Amino acid sequence: MHASRRSVLAAAAAAAAALPLPLLRPGSAHAQARPGFLRFGLSTFPPNLQPWVSTGAAAGTVKLQLHRSLLGYDRSGTLVGELAESWGRDEAGAWVFKLRPNAFFHNGDPVTVEDVRWSIEQIAGEKSTAYMRAQFQLVSRIETPGARTIRLVTSSPQPTLPTWFANYNMFILSRKSEPNAPIGAGPFRLAGTERGTAIEVVAFDKYYKPGFPKLRGIRFVAYPDETLRVTALRSGDVDIIEYVPWQSMAGIATDPRLSLAETQGAAVMEVLFNGTRKPFDDPRVRRAVAHAVKREDIVQAVFFGRGGVLEGVPIPEGSPYYDPALARGWAYDPARAKALLAEAGYPNGFGTTLLSTATYSMHKDTAEVVQQHLRAVGIEAELKLPDWPTRVALGGRGQYDMAIFGTAADSNDPEGLASMMDPSLSPAYSRSFGVQAPRTAEAFARGRSEFDPARRVDAYREMQAAALEEVPIAGLAWRSQGYAMDRRVQGFTNLPAALSTSSGFILEETSFL
Amino acid sequence: MVASIVFLSLHLVPGDPAELLLSSGGGGAPDPAAVAELRAQLGLDRPLHVQYGAFLAGLVRGDLGASIVDGYPVLSEIGTRLPRTLELIAAGSVLALALAIPAGTLAASRAGAGFDRAASGAAALLLAVPVFVVGTLLVLLLADLLHWMPAGGYVPLGQAPLQHLTLLALPALAIGLGLGAVLFRMTRAAVLDVLGRDHVRTARAKGLAPARVTLRHVLRLALTPVLTVLGLHMGALLGGTVLVEYVFNWPGLSTPLLTAVSARDYPMVMGIVLVISLLFLLINLVVDLLYAALDPRVRGA
Repeated sequence: MHASRRSVLAAAAAAAAALPLPLLRPGSAHAQARPGFLRFGLSTFPPNLQPWVSTGAAAGTVKLQLHRSLLGYDRSGTLVGELAESWGRDEAGAWVFKLRPNAFFHNGDPVTVEDVRWSIEQIAGEKSTAYMRAQFQLVSRIETPGARTIRLVTSSPQPTLPTWFANYNMFILSRKSEPNAPIGAGPFRLAGTERGTAIEVVAFDKYYKPGFPKLRGIRFVAYPDETLRVTALRSGDVDIIEYVPWQSMAGIATDPRLSLAETQGAAVMEVLFNGTRKPFDDPRVRRAVAHAVKREDIVQAVFFGRGGVLEGVPIPEGSPYYDPALARGWAYDPARAKALLAEAGYPNGFGTTLLSTATYSMHKDTAEVVQQHLRAVGIEAELKLPDWPTRVALGGRGQYDMAIFGTAADSNDPEGLASMMDPSLSPAYSRSFGVQAPRTAEAFARGRSEFDPARRVDAYREMQAAALEEVPIAGLAWRSQGYAMDRRVQGFTNLPAALSTSSGFILEETSFL
Repeated sequence: MVASIVFLSLHLVPGDPAELLLSSGGGGAPDPAAVAELRAQLGLDRPLHVQYGAFLAGLVRGDLGASIVDGYPVLSEIGTRLPRTLELIAAGSVLALALAIPAGTLAASRAGAGFDRAASGAAALLLAVPVFVVGTLLVLLLADLLHWMPAGGYVPLGQAPLQHLTLLALPALAIGLGLGAVLFRMTRAAVLDVLGRDHVRTARAKGLAPARVTLRHVLRLALTPVLTVLGLHMGALLGGTVLVEYVFNWPGLSTPLLTAVSARDYPMVMGIVLVISLLFLLINLVVDLLYAALDPRVRGA
């Protein structure tokens, strides 16, 4: 076909006339709300919804609607029965769970002990890529002494085993599940996915809890840009958002149309060390770093005051394991830091590197504050700010001197801190590399296998005291985590401390005014 | 060539897709045994030359593979996302033309007058301000403050046409304003150039109405370089809409590219980069043909 100059110009003019300019007027159509449907603004679109694979907190929130495990958390963060109506240890020390009689999978089948057995076996299997794989490999025997009773015998004492069943990467699936078609027993079932954009779930009518979920459905829409996420809430495009940016919290808290559900101590920022490199093989140097940083600057500059200083092991105030005498063991004290450096043979300080990442501003900004305070005691730290995948690779291989990291504990039990700071665990980008902290590791091991509450408290207090000396990590700051919602949204709450990202449990209780 | 460069550069930068995928939670690191198992399942434990051979073999068959993250076919993902990006670029370009050609022509016709100075100043400002700033300001003004528009997002055209166009308007405007500034300057310069030529003077001397002179004798010539520049910019926008798509939550091709790079999702990155490269070549070819269609001298050559 011959395209003349005239025809090309005419086509351009016609296209210009078709421009949607008339839409730029008041009252343009916004995302339409449907009665009983909650519109939830996620921080990212879930990479996938594999039930047992850790693919992030946003994915966890969605997975918590589709699936249930034996246990879960109530509004106060207390462990409660879900598919199991009761649990405890028998006389021989094994954990025993009794299933509810009225729990069903989305295909209509009842939840049975064989499904529980199958789920555990899949998670612990040699080919498994499940997040909880290592934990469930400690289950040496699965017995089903009754139609609704399942008994787990572990290779070593596991007092925190019940919390494994409340993790949002551990669900009970029907043994009829296919690898890419899991069948869960959650309060909602999957209704549709618009890849990269939205996920919709609708209420499951045979959910075990009568009257729940209260909503007819939830539409999850991903808003990776935090400013847009807040704007979407303010403009009424969504009803609730997760990961409220810290700088927006004050404005939301004072907005009469919105409410903020903020949890203190949801996650922490910390310094990691490479103990295989000098001078960080010396605990006095690590302690000097811990004393050198004025945490308040991080709380203000990075988190806009929405956090708290962390001058010890990250155990929140109010926990039975919290000890005020130990909580400020790394208090800001530059004179003490200099003295420790001199004692370790570095009276004039030294040069080093500080690994962080440019991908996440809270990591980069924290590193910049730490760098300034280290300089004040004579430590010249050159910042390394690669992208996140490179940061992960360098951290895992121990190719750094010091590193900034931000993370949350696995649970509010101190055992949940092990993945952050137990030096006996395998090298990982999320822990210090090759740091020798034998007393800390020994106290963790004792606490991990201790059932007696008082003796557990003692073990973890000893762990804290040892960590203050051995410094497997240096805590910097607590950071809060918030959900914000329209005031018409009722019944939702942000679970306490490290359980904040498990707040998806509460969506079954959420409704509209 | 492009495929080989992308493959090698991706595999040479640090970052293990298996470890990244299993640690998306950002909390505790995954079990090393689970990472090793996933690496084996994904074939990432094979020597690099074997992986490269498999990639090339797939390419020959027209198979771009599947996403490491969720196993979704790369070609299907591109098939879904590419039309959205093209739609956004097309809408932005049309808007840019609609703003730039009348404004540029008017500014050149009254060079040095108030409108010319105001429009040239605005264009200079829009060229200086990054597109994500323009986008964010549009969101804050029209969505957050005035509540006239949705903050961002996407619904398919067939599902809700009006809502679709509403959601398209702001990102198209963000692209259109930046591109429009470029085209405005080009139109103004080209029209000024043509206005001084003999045939225009002759047309005026014959007593033709100024509007007719502009439309028949000036724009016909002046628009040729404008459309050429537009074509080149459209090619660049294929890879350059990342920020606009991100700011407006528009699920086009740029967003999965960004996500895939962060996740070291090799097949997805390679597939998208290949398609963008091909389209870039295609658009340049179309621009050349268009140029020939508009300018008889080029056609003859």
